Amino acid sequence: MIVVIGIGQTLRGDDGAGIQAVQRWQAANPATASHPQLRVELEELPGLSLLDRLSGADAAILVDAVRSGAPPGCLHRLELSDLDAFRPESDSAHGWGVAETLYLGRLLDSENLPGIIVLIGIEAGAMRLGDALSREVTGALDQAAAMIEASVSELLFTAD
Amino acid sequence: MRQNIEVDALARVEGEGALYIRLKDGEIAEIQVNIYEPPRFFEGFLKDRYYQEVPDITARICGICPVAYQMSSVQALEAALSVQITPQMRLLRRLLYCAEYIESHALHIYMLQAPDLLGHDSALSLAAVAPDVVRQALRLKKIGNNLLRTIGGRSVHPVNTCVGGFYRWPDVQAIRSLIPELEWALEASKETVRFAAGLAYPEFEMDYEFVALTRPDEYAIYDGEILSSTGKKITPEEFEKSYIESHVQHSNALHSHTSDGNTYFVGPLARLNLNFEQLRPAARQAAEEAGITLPLRNPFKNLLARAVELVEVCDVAIELCRSYQPTGTSHAAIQLKNGEGAGVSEAPRGLLYHRYIVDEAGKIRFARITPPTAQNFAQMEADLWQFAPRVIDLPHEDATLACEHLVRSYDPCISCATHFLKLTIDR
Repeated sequence: MIVVIGIGQTLRGDDGAGIQAVQRWQAANPATASHPQLRVELEELPGLSLLDRLSGADAAILVDAVRSGAPPGCLHRLELSDLDAFRPESDSAHGWGVAETLYLGRLLDSENLPGIIVLIGIEAGAMRLGDALSREVTGALDQAAAMIEASVSELLFTAD
Repeated sequence: MRQNIEVDALARVEGEGALYIRLKDGEIAEIQVNIYEPPRFFEGFLKDRYYQEVPDITARICGICPVAYQMSSVQALEAALSVQITPQMRLLRRLLYCAEYIESHALHIYMLQAPDLLGHDSALSLAAVAPDVVRQALRLKKIGNNLLRTIGGRSVHPVNTCVGGFYRWPDVQAIRSLIPELEWALEASKETVRFAAGLAYPEFEMDYEFVALTRPDEYAIYDGEILSSTGKKITPEEFEKSYIESHVQHSNALHSHTSDGNTYFVGPLARLNLNFEQLRPAARQAAEEAGITLPLRNPFKNLLARAVELVEVCDVAIELCRSYQPTGTSHAAIQLKNGEGAGVSEAPRGLLYHRYIVDEAGKIRFARITPPTAQNFAQMEADLWQFAPRVIDLPHEDATLACEHLVRSYDPCISCATHFLKLTIDR
């Protein structure tokens, strides 16, 4: 089973990039998105429950807004090991971002985490409450959807 | 050298707030628990909504304690509309509330406050040295969320509660199947009390006025009368006469005082001190074996009270799951009419008050919500005025951490507290 999870608060500007990118990918690739080996989830603020969403899957693709200092809309594709480069500290109001949760999952429950975790990150600009996606991030959604499609296809191919 | 303590973003609390302790000539001159989380205007946009939307809208105030908002709101609206629920509906609401306590208390005890007491800066570093402790916390939390999902349809913002009861009865087998995990949770909770009793808490006591719901026949969570440690007991309808909200400039959350102008304390410590006698044998025994003697006046020991309550709610939840056997309709018929009603329940963080006025079309004309964290802010600042001078000469980082820990021990839910802003324009 492969799980694709779009993460972010849609009411918080570019924080909603992950969810919108997954929706864009679903709309553009209905055949892949409804593959029986695939589960698609959209999570506004998964926090610790992200571990439950990942549990039991063979592979996971997480799509989330990130901040690395690159220009807004810039796309990143990371493997789990790359997340070590991220400080376990987040801007999430509740203090639990994806990096912290995955770190915790690896400490406590590594046998239940998917063997493959890919993070597709969309560089965020402003994340103010009530804002829509910025122009830069909106412009990057098609490319993000294509990146999701490529990753999913590769994983489905490997799974077969 | 004494320095200002400035924590621009409090960690391990729900929502966004800051803490400022400012000195003048070496003495503390100003203390602010500064709440900059944007106000959320829930009371405003409930106006003109249909009364039956209220439990689901107010649940959105908080992702940790949505059930509390549902329970206070449905009781207020049932009072306004003169609706009686059946005993089995009340029992299911108690069970739903137990689920919320399990997930919320497990989260706060282990993930939010314990790192302070064990010298860790987060649950992540705690997990690195004590993985079993954090694993236990996550399993407890999951059990609470599973029970929430089974009753309410979703593990975070449940959708099954309605004014008059529940939209439908949860499946009996699904409820029963949770019992083995709840039995594990009960044992884990007893262990949690032993763990909590073994922690070294900062020495600090205040002569608080504690305020919590009370009932003669059970440890009050879902409903009851409002009792103060001064002995004053009032009904939910009398709440606003005795507990007054006011706006302070540095906070997007209102502050509360008693009608005598005193700060007061709501939350686990208040409940345990006022209602210890009503605990069931399992929780009482766990507290006694751990050597807990009342009254507890140390705010850091909120954690200890939470641990005892965890035993209580697991114990109650097991009994309610075993006896769950719904019959008849899951919700009472409702006749619309003009009405006004108040409802109070004990959120995991303390007393949560709602009052509504509805019109004959079922539309909300007025809403008032007083969340526990807003009631505690004035008390937190009063605590800090006593506590900060004791730690201000410590190395700056330690002093800062000690003050932050004090705020965290209240388990403040800032996002809950900022639902209302009184806008004042100075010209």
